Amino acid sequence: MIWNYFLMAAGVSSASWILSALIPKKEILRNALVLTGILSMAIYIGFLWTSLERPPLRTLGETRLWYSFFISIIGLITYFRWRYLWMLYYCLFMSLLFLFINYLHPENFSKTLMPALQSPWFVPHVVVYIISYAFLAASTLVAIYGLYQIKRDKFEEKYMLVADNLVYLGFAFLTFGLLFGALWAKEAWGHYWTWDPKETWAFITWMGYLVYIHRRYQKPKKYVSALWILALAFVILLVCWFGVNYMPSAQFSVHTYSMQP
Amino acid sequence: MSKPTKPLWQTPWGYAESFLIAFGLIIIGFLLEFTIQSSTGTSIRYPMNLILGAVFLALLLGFYRLIRKSSLFLFLSGIPASIGAISVLTLLVIIMGLTPQVPMQEENLITKLSLNQLTTSWPFLFINFYLLIVLALVIIRKSIPFKMKNWGFVCSHLGLWITIFAAGLGSGDLMRLKMDLHENKTEWKAYDDKGNYYELPLAIKLNDFMIDEFNPKLAVVENETGKLYEPSKPSMIMIENDLTTQLHDWSVTVDEFLPVSGRAGDKYHPLHDFGAAPAARVSVSTSTSETLTGWISCGSFNRPHESLKLNENYSLLMTVPEPKKFSSKVTIFTPDGKKEEQVLEVNKPQSVNGWKIYQLSYDEKMGKYSTLSVVEVVKDPWQIYVYIGIFMMMIGSIYMFWRGNKVTINNEQ
Repeated sequence: MIWNYFLMAAGVSSASWILSALIPKKEILRNALVLTGILSMAIYIGFLWTSLERPPLRTLGETRLWYSFFISIIGLITYFRWRYLWMLYYCLFMSLLFLFINYLHPENFSKTLMPALQSPWFVPHVVVYIISYAFLAASTLVAIYGLYQIKRDKFEEKYMLVADNLVYLGFAFLTFGLLFGALWAKEAWGHYWTWDPKETWAFITWMGYLVYIHRRYQKPKKYVSALWILALAFVILLVCWFGVNYMPSAQFSVHTYSMQP
Repeated sequence: MSKPTKPLWQTPWGYAESFLIAFGLIIIGFLLEFTIQSSTGTSIRYPMNLILGAVFLALLLGFYRLIRKSSLFLFLSGIPASIGAISVLTLLVIIMGLTPQVPMQEENLITKLSLNQLTTSWPFLFINFYLLIVLALVIIRKSIPFKMKNWGFVCSHLGLWITIFAAGLGSGDLMRLKMDLHENKTEWKAYDDKGNYYELPLAIKLNDFMIDEFNPKLAVVENETGKLYEPSKPSMIMIENDLTTQLHDWSVTVDEFLPVSGRAGDKYHPLHDFGAAPAARVSVSTSTSETLTGWISCGSFNRPHESLKLNENYSLLMTVPEPKKFSSKVTIFTPDGKKEEQVLEVNKPQSVNGWKIYQLSYDEKMGKYSTLSVVEVVKDPWQIYVYIGIFMMMIGSIYMFWRGNKVTINNEQ
């Protein structure tokens, strides 16, 4: 029952999202299709919630449903505000990816998460990071392109404004990720900030983008240094994302799930 | 692009002065740390932290009144000072991110400078104080006179300030204690990291400790070293009845899986006994060898484990099951004579009398037969102020999302 309805809901969502990607120009129809996909996820989650008689947050499969749901919503909201079509499609792609993983691994619906991850904060924490990293990665591309254009003396101010906007949006989500993490930690471990290595590096990343934002605010005409700060900040972000597990400081981290047997 | 450089310390101050001040502060901090190490054991508690906080605020406002017309105010509330403070704090945090932050016994340059415990060191304290001063002056400058268009700016910055201020002052009042609850016993004492005991204004009786486990997993280990053999992934596969799977070069079939069992003679039987362990009958084959059949069990605190020798070098074994969910049924008593029944679970703490009670762990050697439940009791009277700061930052973030680069566009015009 649960599985068949999942196939139905995921089918509706996938079909409408893929269709929406095929008609990027027909705005109203496209948005309606995106919304249909989101609705079908919402209905399925609601159904799951009532039939399980508990919030569907306990298994790997269930959390992935929420990822799909929230990521597509944020994609649509961001589109309405900023008209970034690529971001909308990135979000829909990620949502589809999570649905597809669930489709390939039906057993995920019975795989209970480890106790510490069974929290209402878990999903929003991950979702906002997925969005934030996408914005910040895009801003890095702009930074590299900008530096290249400066070398060729073909730089235009509008690149800088694009980078700024991406950083502002990415930074807003990054802040949310950090703060959701803190609120969750208080519920799960008793304290909101313990300087766990991953927390430390997330904080460094946050500070890196903070430097960029302030630098831009003060010297809007100095492009080169700002672009370099932006590129460097992404290097720190990558350290935070992948590098932490390999550092001597990581031995006691709560975020290194991969090391557990 | 070269422009005439301004002599150092000549107003208006800029980046050079800002970085010099910030670096100077942490250098003084490290020198102080080297000579008189900040003792990590003492922390400023109520009412001392409240008084100090009030004095700091009063001094800050006095300082502002004193300098508000000077170029020092313009500098301290300006962006170069902010960037200097942020960068130098980031530098300290990068050191924290690279080196393990754990107490160490030996005495060397690292421990002398407290590089292994930076969050409780003088340089960290100094740079945070400096940041708080700069941030406060920035907020004052943006809010006097208050303009409606600055609300987002003030909200996020003030939120950050409140969070740092409250978290810093509150850290002395934060109590995180552990309590060992034994089934059917009532406990009212808790202990800290150093083994000091405290009497609590509440008592907890553990009625039942419950644990759900995942099925154990199959794994191959090297006979000689006992190390996990993992030439391919996944190197562990969860056992289920009638499972047939490929584990590295071996094809493994689970003929029979008993979640609780005991060995009698040459086989395992289902058994509900104190210490009964999971066991499975497995058949293993490779393309070149014949099928091997035997029983494996991960054992328990009172039963031996059993593995299946695959060849000279490797054995197949069953891993100890991991917990899926664990919880404690407790009765909580308070001095006013009230008692309440509660269930403590990971991620579901309960609040009683200003204390929050968290399910932490249990006797892992005993696994699901543990009659011990370890809970953490936390008192954090400043939490609400930290949360106010956090929510202000969240509102600031939403504002930021909505405004985007309008900030820089306006600034350039």
